[in-house]
Amino acid sequence: MILLSYATAVIIFCIGLYTIMIRRNLFKTVLGLALMESAVLLIIVSSGYIPGGVPPIAPFSGPAVNPLPHAFTLTAIVIGASDIALALAFIVKLHRHYRTVDLDRIRGLRG
Amino acid sequence: MSSKPYIFRIASLILCVSLGLMLFRGIAALPVTEKVTGPASHYLARTAGETGARNVVGAILFDYRAFDTLGESTVIFTAVCGIAMLFSRRKFHRSSRGLSFIAKRGIGIMVPFLLMYASVIILFGHLSPGGGFQGGTIFATVTVLLCVVFGSSFESQYFPPRTKDILESGGALLFSGIGLIGLAAGTGFLSNIAAGFPAGTFGSFLSAGSVPILNVAVGMKVGAGLSTIFYSMIKMLDAGHDHREGGGIE
Amino acid sequence: MSLSFMIFLYVFLIATALVISAINDILSAVITLSVFGILLATAFAILQAPDVALTQAVINSGIVTALFLVAFSQTEKPECYSEEEEE
Repeated sequence: MILLSYATAVIIFCIGLYTIMIRRNLFKTVLGLALMESAVLLIIVSSGYIPGGVPPIAPFSGPAVNPLPHAFTLTAIVIGASDIALALAFIVKLHRHYRTVDLDRIRGLRG
Repeated sequence: MSSKPYIFRIASLILCVSLGLMLFRGIAALPVTEKVTGPASHYLARTAGETGARNVVGAILFDYRAFDTLGESTVIFTAVCGIAMLFSRRKFHRSSRGLSFIAKRGIGIMVPFLLMYASVIILFGHLSPGGGFQGGTIFATVTVLLCVVFGSSFESQYFPPRTKDILESGGALLFSGIGLIGLAAGTGFLSNIAAGFPAGTFGSFLSAGSVPILNVAVGMKVGAGLSTIFYSMIKMLDAGHDHREGGGIE
Repeated sequence: MSLSFMIFLYVFLIATALVISAINDILSAVITLSVFGILLATAFAILQAPDVALTQAVINSGIVTALFLVAFSQTEKPECYSEEEEE
């Protein structure tokens, strides 16, 4: 099950990377960034999973899963959200300047 | 869409697939353990005695690694600063009027329950799953709902940006102040039980020393920060609409 | 949780990721991102991480989708804004 999670996360990471490399729309770039971030979160969380484990809430009724990756991903999600917000703000600002969100046209307009 | 040359797409696909294969081989080589090792085993075994919190993740975030959490909430503050600088405007613009009457009534019924849910998530962060980050985000979602349904002038009237500013700074000050208490007690920055905070009885609402207070501080910071980000972005949207209709108030 | 349900969930996760990557309409892609976030939150809950699942569900369905929609509606119609907007 852990290997299955790893494989899924790697496939999602590659889809996000391919989106960033191929697509020229800036929104698509940010969506690919969000996909890659989610894949990394899935890798970190599933690395702490223990087969047959219970959630780390104190009176444990069995072997508890590793709580340290959860603490890391928790803050990473919130930081990723503010990250995406900053990227979207830059896109809006670029659109006011160049009247387009197409990366090729922005590059062509600059000269 | 963009008409990239075909060879470029093929090359990108090959690069992505080979990179993914290498990544998977590297990750699959990680040891799969049947039991928790390293510092996490210490956290799992001693959290109940050392902090008094039931939620081990909350105890790690707000006791063992509280200094990291202070830095991470500063990242949100930096993002808010960047967006506010990008979208700074001097003019005041009238906002849209919002959605229909039915939507406004429905949201009016829903909002108190949402606020209660967010408060419970924050205040019981040391006992059950939840905490400052989640509850603060739910508070921000409530302001987003009010913004969309009632129009941003209503939202800015009931939750003025000045209040959000004070809340965010107050959260940071509360967090640092709790840390300085530990420093004054001579046990180090952001230390919890060792600095003299009462541990309480394990599993009750008033327990875990400074963890609930830090939860509230982080909830204030995250909620005010995300809400400010959304408000400064939707303000520009309203300004654009007004400009098109020629109704902007200078 | 059973392995077959996990496989089902992960297949759906990859399918939504492919839709986000392939579809040309930005609005559909943003809504699909919200579905992707909810599926990922379910996967986190099955991996015994309730805190992370709660955060992921709230942030991805609430804040990130709203921010994407606001930014998209600002860049949708370029003729709405005249040149003196940027003074």
